[in-house]
Amino acid sequence: MDTKKQIQALFKEAELYRSHGLFVEAKAKYDNVAKLIQKNDRIANKQSLLDAISKKIGAVENEIKKFDKPPATPKMSTKAQDLVKNLFSFSEDKDEDAALLEGAMALAKFGQFERALIEFNELIKKDSLRVSAAKNIIRCHIALSSSDEAITKYRKWLSGDSFSSGQLEEIRIFFQDILDRKGIDKKLPAVTQPKDARKEEAREEDFLDISSIAITLGDESKKGALIELDVNFQRGNTISLIISRDDKDLIENLKVGFRLNNIQFFSPIAVFNGSGIVSEKAPIELGPKKGDYRVDIEIQNT
Amino acid sequence: MDAFPSGNLCPVGGELQFISCEAYLRYRFVFSALRLDSMAVFNLKNREIECKVVYYGPGRCGKTTNLEYIHKAFKKQVSGEMVSIDTEGDRTLFFDFLPMELGKVRGCAVRVQLFTVPGQVQYSSTRKVVLRGVDGVVFVADSLEARREKNMLSLKDLQQNLKEFGTSIFKVPLVLQYNKRDLAEQGLPTMSIEKMERELNNQLKVPSFPASALKGKGVGATLQECLKLTLRDLQKQLKWAQ
Repeated sequence: MDTKKQIQALFKEAELYRSHGLFVEAKAKYDNVAKLIQKNDRIANKQSLLDAISKKIGAVENEIKKFDKPPATPKMSTKAQDLVKNLFSFSEDKDEDAALLEGAMALAKFGQFERALIEFNELIKKDSLRVSAAKNIIRCHIALSSSDEAITKYRKWLSGDSFSSGQLEEIRIFFQDILDRKGIDKKLPAVTQPKDARKEEAREEDFLDISSIAITLGDESKKGALIELDVNFQRGNTISLIISRDDKDLIENLKVGFRLNNIQFFSPIAVFNGSGIVSEKAPIELGPKKGDYRVDIEIQNT
Repeated sequence: MDAFPSGNLCPVGGELQFISCEAYLRYRFVFSALRLDSMAVFNLKNREIECKVVYYGPGRCGKTTNLEYIHKAFKKQVSGEMVSIDTEGDRTLFFDFLPMELGKVRGCAVRVQLFTVPGQVQYSSTRKVVLRGVDGVVFVADSLEARREKNMLSLKDLQQNLKEFGTSIFKVPLVLQYNKRDLAEQGLPTMSIEKMERELNNQLKVPSFPASALKGKGVGATLQECLKLTLRDLQKQLKWAQ
C-alpha cells in the first residue's frame, strides 16, 4: 500500500474509533497518521495536515482525560435514588429491617451519601439496626469529608441513652480506626462507665464464660444437623460468633430476632442447655475476616 | 402459555417445561416466599418467579445498546420503562435497568430484571453492587481487535467479582455475546469468531452468539439462551420435583 493510501486508511480507522467513543484507540491511529506524514517529505501540504491531525489528537486527549478522571459522583434524582433503594434491598421478603439497611447501604455505595444519611438517621431508631446504622452514618460523614459532623454525632450518642456502653465502645473503636487510617489526628472521647456499671459487671460475673455452642436449625422435629460454633466474644449474656461467609445457609437462617430454642452451651466447667435470640447480625467490613458475619446471640434461658 | 410473540424467541419453552408451580407446592418446605442464595424470588402466594440477569463487559462494548434494543423490540414483554441511572455522555456511570415479564409458565409468572454494569475500569465498586444477587450473566465482548485485551480483563473482573460473592464463573448461568460484528463492514479490524472463542470461551465452554446490538442482530438469541440457562439453574438450586 502506498503511503497516501496507508494514511487515508489509518485516518478513516481513527475517525471510526472516535465515532464509537474509543478515544484511546483513535489517538493511537492519529499518532500513526502523524508519524507517517512527518516521515514523508513528498506530501505537499504536510504542515497543514500535521496541524489538523494535532488538533484531532488534542480533542481525543481531552476526551480521554475526561473519562480517566471520573467526575465527582453525580447526585441522582430522588426517583433514581428510590429505585436504587428498592432494587438493592435483597432481603425485602425475608427480613424487613435488613432490607431497609441494605437499601440505605446501596445508596451509600452509589455515592448518594446525603440521601443515605437521611435513611440511616431513621434506621438508628430501630433497636436491631442501631449500631449498624450508627457506623454507616459515620462512614457517610467521612465520605462527605465531614469528620467533625461525625464526631458531633458520636458525642451526641455518647451523652444520650440510646446505646449501651458496649455498643458505644464498639462504635468508638470502629470510628477511631477510620480516623487513624485517614490520618485525622483526633481522639474520640472514651465511653464512660454507666452509673450502674458495677451492677452490670456483677451481672456479667453471673454468667459463665462460654467457649462454644451447638445449635440445630430448621424444624427441630426433623432433627436437623447439629452445628457447633466457637464463641469469639462474650459480654454478659450476649455471645458473639463469627460465621464464615461461605456458610450462607447459616447466615441466612440466623436473622435478627430469630429464636433458637435449643442451644447447648459449652463452658470450661459445664455443659448446659438453654435458648437464645439473635440480637444482631452484621458483615465484618475490615481485617482478615472481612466478608464474614458477626452474629450476636442473647442468651435467654439456661 | 404466554411467551414471546416471535416463534424462536420463547425463553420458557421446550426444556423449561419442568418448571411447575404445582410441583413446587409439594416441596417439603412450604414458604410463602423463598429467596435463594441468588436474587431469585419464588413467591408462591402470588405465583411469581423473579430473577436478575446482568449484562457485563468492557466499556463501550454495547451493553446499554443491548438493553435499548430489547426495550424497543420486545415491548410486550417489557413491563416498565428502561431506566439509565446517570450517564456521562453516552457512558453508563451507574447502571441501566429494564424490567420484563415473560408471561406464565404453568401458572407461574416469570419476571426478569435486566441490568447493565458500568464497563469502565474505575467503576469497579459499582459493578460489584449491581452484580450482587445475580442469577444469570450475559458477557458482551467487543469484536474489535483493538478491544481484545479489554475483553479479557473484563472477563477476569467478572470472575473475580463472582468469586467475591462466593460463586464461580464456571457455575453461574453465562452466555457470551460477540458484539459489533457489523464493524468489519466499515473496515475496522475485527476478530474472527474462532479467535474470540479461543480466547474467551476456551475454558468456559458456554453458549456464545455473534451480534450487532445496534442493528438488533443476535440480541434476542443471546437473551433467550441466558434466560433458559438461568431458569434451568434456578430449578436445580431448588431441587424442584421433577
